[in-house]
Amino acid sequence: MINKKLILFIVFVIVLTALPFVISGYWLRVLTQTFLFGAIATGSNIIIGFTGYPAFGNIAFFGIGAYVTGVLTTKYNMPFFYTLPFCAISGIIVASLLGIPILRLKGHYFAIATVGVMETIKELVDNMTELTGGGPGLTLPIMQGEPEYIYKFFYFIMPGVMLFSLLILFIVSKIKQGYALRAIRVDEDAASVMGINTPVYKTFAWAVSAALVGITGGVYAYWLSYIDPHTVFGGTYPVKMFAMILLGGGTTVIGPMLGAFILELISEIVWSKFIAIHGMVLGLLIIFIILFLPKGLFETFKGGFSFKKLFNNLKENRL
Amino acid sequence: MILQILVNGVLLGGFYALIGVGFSPVWGVTNIINLAHGAIALLGSYITYYMFQNLHLDPFLTLPVSFVCLYIFGYPVQRYLMNMVVKAQIFMLLILTFGLEIFLVNFMTTFFSADFRSVTPEYAGKSIEIAGVVIPYIRLAVFAICMVVTAIMGFFLEKTWTGKAIRATSLDLEAAMMTGISPKKIYSITFTSGSALAGLSGSLLSLTQAFSPNIAGGLALRAFIVAILGGLGRVEGAFLGGLLLGVIETLSAFYIGESYKNAIAFGLMVFMLIVKPSGLLGRKYYAEVKH
Repeated sequence: MINKKLILFIVFVIVLTALPFVISGYWLRVLTQTFLFGAIATGSNIIIGFTGYPAFGNIAFFGIGAYVTGVLTTKYNMPFFYTLPFCAISGIIVASLLGIPILRLKGHYFAIATVGVMETIKELVDNMTELTGGGPGLTLPIMQGEPEYIYKFFYFIMPGVMLFSLLILFIVSKIKQGYALRAIRVDEDAASVMGINTPVYKTFAWAVSAALVGITGGVYAYWLSYIDPHTVFGGTYPVKMFAMILLGGGTTVIGPMLGAFILELISEIVWSKFIAIHGMVLGLLIIFIILFLPKGLFETFKGGFSFKKLFNNLKENRL
Repeated sequence: MILQILVNGVLLGGFYALIGVGFSPVWGVTNIINLAHGAIALLGSYITYYMFQNLHLDPFLTLPVSFVCLYIFGYPVQRYLMNMVVKAQIFMLLILTFGLEIFLVNFMTTFFSADFRSVTPEYAGKSIEIAGVVIPYIRLAVFAICMVVTAIMGFFLEKTWTGKAIRATSLDLEAAMMTGISPKKIYSITFTSGSALAGLSGSLLSLTQAFSPNIAGGLALRAFIVAILGGLGRVEGAFLGGLLLGVIETLSAFYIGESYKNAIAFGLMVFMLIVKPSGLLGRKYYAEVKH
């Protein structure tokens, strides 16, 4: 079973490597975007899926990473690759400092607090015009080279970040500390009684998640070479991230990535076909996922596809 | 000058209080954080706008219309959408309402356009001056309506049987069911009245400022802040929180800078969550997390 999975995974990586030589620039871009969401969803899953803390505003770290790379490359002329560790470190610092007070909150309150943090950071970045360029945004230096080369460069960097996040998530799922996180998700009081230092573990989970999402943000900034506070902090990112995690199943390692692939490719197809009502379709899609697939696609259809299972899901949580 | 700022703050705060009064009980009773609250409010704004524009009705006369329309709108949303996931993990509802918000905002952008609209009746510019403080008539009227509606809502929750049943449900669902209260009915009444109040506040919003579908998120976040500051599920809490937020926003806009007022409001909310998550007036049970 493990070998089967491994072979599938290797095939997946080989296909990814071969793809840029056969598909057009448009699809290259779409796939890069998909990997971006895959990386965000995978990175956020450590705190959301594994630890069970709905960090709705986890996109804050994405924005922080994007702005760290943006400011370091424009104001300090730092090469792009050297900025990525700073993205991770700033994510870790912010998550650790905020984690100590905020992770005491539970459920809705935690979710709202993270949204509050995200909005506060957004407003601050918006106002620090001298450093961050403020509301009009920040233009990063464009990478040297042919457009085709740049496209392929990011096509390989982005899945690199995603696979790195996946690797970290896999390691976390295997080590003792990962079990502690899952114990916290199932029953925090019981975990605490068992001798797990819950505040430390929760902060650890959030810091790791923040570092991964921060790195993704850094790559995003260099990829688009233009960032502004309203896109990188919020917009539809948080809800998309959450929908992806739900679709794939938050308790699994690979689920959020698959969820990202499915949702992003669907919304891309919708985007190209019905550009005017794209947002409405996205909203309906999210509502549909919550109503019919709250446990995730793979958990629901474990023993084969049937519509009955969808309706069973619908009935399960109703009042 | 300071007096003028305070008066402006209080007038703005009255409006925030009304948003909070619609939002907070829904959260406290049904455990739904209605992120679509702002979008629903904007539906009310558009009702007022189109009735004023096409039928030349006085905007204040359209208030009952948007109240009733959104009451009717709220029922199926609660019955066929929210009720389906109300017992699931808490963040499901959060995402569900966010999905609804995305849908509604894009619906409004598609059909009503993303342009900023405003409702300007003939008496829009008129104001009264008391001791050097200028108070526009419209803002005063909006404030008065907000206060009256808040008071009615408070009276409804405190004195009537239905209100008592709502409060009982928010305290302890199982015990309430044992005494014969049907949670289905209570949830539906709470949500629909929250939606109706949102519509009302949206209509009032259209009188005081220009609006477009894109401000929906900002409105919903304001409702959050009001609910958190004052204490969840309580009308007095929403009233206090609204006034506080209005005064703080105007004061910080004046002393620190217009562009920092949002940062301060959100920072204040996070601070409140850390220090006293149950809010200024929150009591035990009212702010407890339900699963």
